[in-house]
Amino acid sequence: MDASNAPHSSVIGSRMQLASENGSATTPLKRHRSSNSSTTPPLRKSPRLRTQDSPTAPPKVNEIVKSLNSSLNLCGSLQQRRLSESCIEKPNWDPRVDKEQLRVVKEALHVSTAPTTVMCRENEQNKILNFCKECVKQQKAGSLYVCGLPGTGKSLSMERVRGILVDWAKEEDILPPDVLSIHCTSLTNTNEIFSKIIGQNHPGKKASRSTSLQLLQNLYSQKQQPGMKMIIVIADELDYLITKDRDVLHNLFMLTTIPFSKCILVGIANAIDLADRFIPKLQSLNCKPMVITFRAYRKNQIITILQERLRALPYIVFQPQAVELCATRVAAGSGDMRNALSICRSAIELLEAEVRDSFSNLNMSALEKIEDKPKSAATNQVNYMVRIDHVATALSKAYRSPVVDNIQSLPQHQQIILCSAVKLFRGRKKDTIVGELYKSYTDVCRSTSIPPVGIQEISNMCGVLSDQGIFKLGKSREDKLRRVSLNIDEADIIFALQ
Amino acid sequence: MAETPKMKNLKQSSTRTPKRSTPKINSLISPRTPQTSTPTIPTPRRSLRFTPQNTTRSLQNHKIAPPPHSPVTISITPISPHPTESKRKRKLELKPQTLNKKRVLTTDLNNNTKKSSSNKIKKRVYYKKVVYDGGEFAAGDDVYIKRKEETSSDDDFAEVEECRVCFKPAGKRIMIECDDCLNGFHLRCLKPPLKEVPEGDWICNYCKGRKSGKLVEFPEPPKGKKRVRTAREKLLSSDLWAARIESLWKEVDGTYWCRVRWYIIPEETAAGRQPHNLRRELYRTNDFADVEMESIIRHCYVMSPKEFSKASNEGDDVFLCEYEYDIHYYSFKRIAEIDNNDDDGEGAERDDDWNSCSESDSDTEEEVEYEDEINICSLSKPSPAHPLAANSRKGRIYGLQKIGAKKIPEHVRCHKQTDIEKAKATLLLATLPKSLPCRDKEMDEITTFVKGAICDEQCLGRCLYVHGVPGTGKTMSVLASMRNLKSEVDAGHIRPYCFVEINGLKLASPENIYSVIYEGLTGHRVGWKKALHFLNERFSDENKHGKEDRKPCILLIDELDLLVTRNQAVLYNILDWPTKPNSKLIVIGIANTMDLPEKLLPRISSRMGIQRLCFGPYNYQQLQEIISSRLKGIGAFDKLAIEFASRKVASVSGDARRALEICRRAAEHADYHAKSSLLSSSDTAGKISIGMADVEAAIKEMLQAPHIQVIRSCSKLSKIFLAAMVHELYKTGMGETTFEKLATVVMSFCSSNGETLPEYDTLLKVGCKLGECRVLLCEAASRHKLQKLQLNYPNDDVTFALKDSKDLPWLAKYL
Repeated sequence: MDASNAPHSSVIGSRMQLASENGSATTPLKRHRSSNSSTTPPLRKSPRLRTQDSPTAPPKVNEIVKSLNSSLNLCGSLQQRRLSESCIEKPNWDPRVDKEQLRVVKEALHVSTAPTTVMCRENEQNKILNFCKECVKQQKAGSLYVCGLPGTGKSLSMERVRGILVDWAKEEDILPPDVLSIHCTSLTNTNEIFSKIIGQNHPGKKASRSTSLQLLQNLYSQKQQPGMKMIIVIADELDYLITKDRDVLHNLFMLTTIPFSKCILVGIANAIDLADRFIPKLQSLNCKPMVITFRAYRKNQIITILQERLRALPYIVFQPQAVELCATRVAAGSGDMRNALSICRSAIELLEAEVRDSFSNLNMSALEKIEDKPKSAATNQVNYMVRIDHVATALSKAYRSPVVDNIQSLPQHQQIILCSAVKLFRGRKKDTIVGELYKSYTDVCRSTSIPPVGIQEISNMCGVLSDQGIFKLGKSREDKLRRVSLNIDEADIIFALQ
Repeated sequence: MAETPKMKNLKQSSTRTPKRSTPKINSLISPRTPQTSTPTIPTPRRSLRFTPQNTTRSLQNHKIAPPPHSPVTISITPISPHPTESKRKRKLELKPQTLNKKRVLTTDLNNNTKKSSSNKIKKRVYYKKVVYDGGEFAAGDDVYIKRKEETSSDDDFAEVEECRVCFKPAGKRIMIECDDCLNGFHLRCLKPPLKEVPEGDWICNYCKGRKSGKLVEFPEPPKGKKRVRTAREKLLSSDLWAARIESLWKEVDGTYWCRVRWYIIPEETAAGRQPHNLRRELYRTNDFADVEMESIIRHCYVMSPKEFSKASNEGDDVFLCEYEYDIHYYSFKRIAEIDNNDDDGEGAERDDDWNSCSESDSDTEEEVEYEDEINICSLSKPSPAHPLAANSRKGRIYGLQKIGAKKIPEHVRCHKQTDIEKAKATLLLATLPKSLPCRDKEMDEITTFVKGAICDEQCLGRCLYVHGVPGTGKTMSVLASMRNLKSEVDAGHIRPYCFVEINGLKLASPENIYSVIYEGLTGHRVGWKKALHFLNERFSDENKHGKEDRKPCILLIDELDLLVTRNQAVLYNILDWPTKPNSKLIVIGIANTMDLPEKLLPRISSRMGIQRLCFGPYNYQQLQEIISSRLKGIGAFDKLAIEFASRKVASVSGDARRALEICRRAAEHADYHAKSSLLSSSDTAGKISIGMADVEAAIKEMLQAPHIQVIRSCSKLSKIFLAAMVHELYKTGMGETTFEKLATVVMSFCSSNGETLPEYDTLLKVGCKLGECRVLLCEAASRHKLQKLQLNYPNDDVTFALKDSKDLPWLAKYL
């Protein structure tokens, strides 16, 4: 259905382009909008249908995209292009044609749109799933600790597992377990987690915080009637439960060790050794939680995930090389998927701005020389895609370390301070106090016959510099006695101030 | 306000009636009453027919002799209607009366009686108080306003509430009001009858019945008597409007107008009626309209919660108003807070009106700008389509005014401002610049960011972090671009959105931000724990698809770094919401620190995204442009002086605030000198300009610490003490010394130069004093002899200050 529909839209699109060459600036816009109605409904439906129907292997897709791209680059004239499009599954993307497309692309790349399948995390997901299944089947309690860096899909996988688990329980004809997801940051009091658990168990009961733990312990320490449901507690950002005496965390995990407990605890956090560090007692009881680690995404994984998201779209938005560049950079940095997505987004915005500019230029030129058809047709042939340079700009925006520019744009006296700091730190000494720095500063000022400013100003400026991440400023009762050290490389400063 | 209404015939009238001669004026109008307010007996309102007539009281009016085109007549009804009379009765009484329409000017704001007989009125005349159609209306009063001419089918309003059972007015019997349906009942008519008004809340049987699920009907009114709704009922069912009068004036054509600020009922807000809203609750809006006095019905009383709780049984027309509702951003603000800030539009509004009259006292006279014609055309209908049509001031600036516009004191306006005074006024930090130069790129970026986020049909949550050193226009730019966006919303290009603005410094604790956000979105104040719960529900619950039509919400958090708590949960929650589907939340954070996201926990910076915007310090050209753009049209400043000031600031901090302050200080300096020279030489120096010297003096005053002055003016012994300190430090080459060593040096100084030897305790006291004024840095004083001392200022400064002290010339040889 997609294949039949999409070329149609693109044909309209290309016609519109022709029209825009001939006609005035205003009419094509109108018609574009009317063309929306024919194209949009299938667009919206297609992603979900597709992903469920044919989960093709990622490398294959990659190949297709590559070949497709090259063929597109080959075709020159309009006729050829139309021909080639009719046989290619995905048409080229033209953000000028309609805003709706742009919106769909942005939405597909937004953090909040959860993909239907979690790519590249099958292993971890299966592990969690098996663990839960086992526990539910045997009606025994257990605890699991999921850790990993931010943006590696922990919570997302958990959500998915939760859905699968309920389905599975229905299929297997087992009493489906209750699932309770708690975001620990949204708790106003750490003890509240127990009342939440008990509230899930017995919706009618309302217990105060101190007693709810006891109630739970009582509940699980005696044999219950067989109709009792298992309860899976998913505690996201578990480390927010760490209190001074670690009572809450401890009690929470101890719940799973009570003989008749029905509680399956899944904790999610960033720290890899949270359970070992904070609940050493569990180890002695020999009921350490199972740990599943989510590693940072590698380059290939990021590419796969991004393409999975983009595959849902009926057009090519990114050059494959662009995606690769983004993935390489992100994987080298943090392996954070959120980061990758936001870089893609800002790359799209760059493209959008470029298209807007060129479109207005085009209109202008079209108004000026309507007869000059071939020329404008040639400019029209530009492929609107997110290219490598877009991604590179977005990356440099995100990861730039603008130290040198920053220093060069500093006010003069702040530069002098930096200069004198470098001078001070030439020796072995790596930090000093503001008073010393001021002395060195006045020396520099005197040697260049610039009137120095007062000590108060200097300590203010040191504050500003530390705000900008150039200095590191210690704390002290006296402004004059605060410790100062450089937060950036001396070589950078020397280079910038030369 | 573009129109500055002034009186053309002012001179003539003022010559005739001296200023502030109220009694005389009043005697002109009504010789019987020398007080400022004529004791007119409130005439019950009738239809709006208008028949000027001046015969009845001609005895009193013969002095005025109003021409037929401007009927300024006095109405004193011979019969005073009893306040509890029913409407029907009143009508009968009124019929024999010949006067059915009259107005009296009680107090003229300008204290100039308008003798319109001789002058053709060509301008608006502003009044403080107007008696119109029997009611006395003053600025600041709350009134009912008719909604539309069409709805006047039941134009009658029961001014007195009737019992819901027997349909008779209260009379002498006590009536009780149901707290649910607000209907009134005679105690006697109830079943079972009540002896006295019960304590606490009371709910009528009908409401009780309805609540328990029964179908209850109120008794039908007796035949021939239509049930008349009171104005209050009509207001609450939005058939009427309530408004507060901001100013009153007489139009050129003799009609009376007033500028009103609308109130709206909870149902009319974007949030709708919420469970916490009281039945009688209203919201004040920031929406103004000019309304003809014709459409005003009568008084109502809108009170703050405090007053409301006190005045609980004062009648039917009492309402409660706690919040102001921003009709553009759909957000709520507590009125008490706004009034504290005193930066309200209302203040400015009234200010303008006052301005017109205070300036009229001076001899400057300007023609009234005659845009009234257009106004009349557009407003000829006495019922503007309330929140929508009242947009005569579409271009009103809301965003920038919030920064802290201050009312310029009136005495400044009383005389013609000199250039320097004007310059001083525009250079105040509180004065709003008309434009923000040098930040176009950043503002563009903010605008595209917000637009990109809210233009989509499904608003995708995003986050922007704005950082930069202080005084580089961060908040200003964001607010200005929000203002620009607002005008686009008005034009219909963008979907409307909520805008909540929070300053981290104003929060009592970081957690409080939840309740502030929630209050801003719904106008409901709850504790932060509850607010967090509600906000979580609103932003992160996917189940609630019913609220698809919710508006996107923009959250501006100034001083974001103050929200960093120990475990950073607050920031986590706020930045986590935009990543949730359907949250429609856009967060703009502002802070000084450049690397705040990197200092946060990785999970938070991961959610924050990569959208950053940096405001660099201004360079001197930019500062120059900023100052000159503020001083446009005022020729007081030397160009070189501006450049000097901006260069000086740009070399140190690039802080625009400081540059403005220096210029203002320089202006003050110049002003002061000009005035003192004026006093001494008493010849007008003509135009004074602010030159380099003034700027230099201002800079010296602001940038240089006053320590030299302090050291020079301290006592003899302290000077010796300091000199000994410098000497000792120089001799040892150390940074610090102990008190004990210092004491011996001081003693030797004194003995060798013939001074009386100070006592040990006195020296200790001197040391402590110097420590207190921070010339010295002392260790904890408990160590007495052994405490370490340090100079807080460089040795050279102290030497410089002490070198030529007259009382201790011998000090120089030790320095």
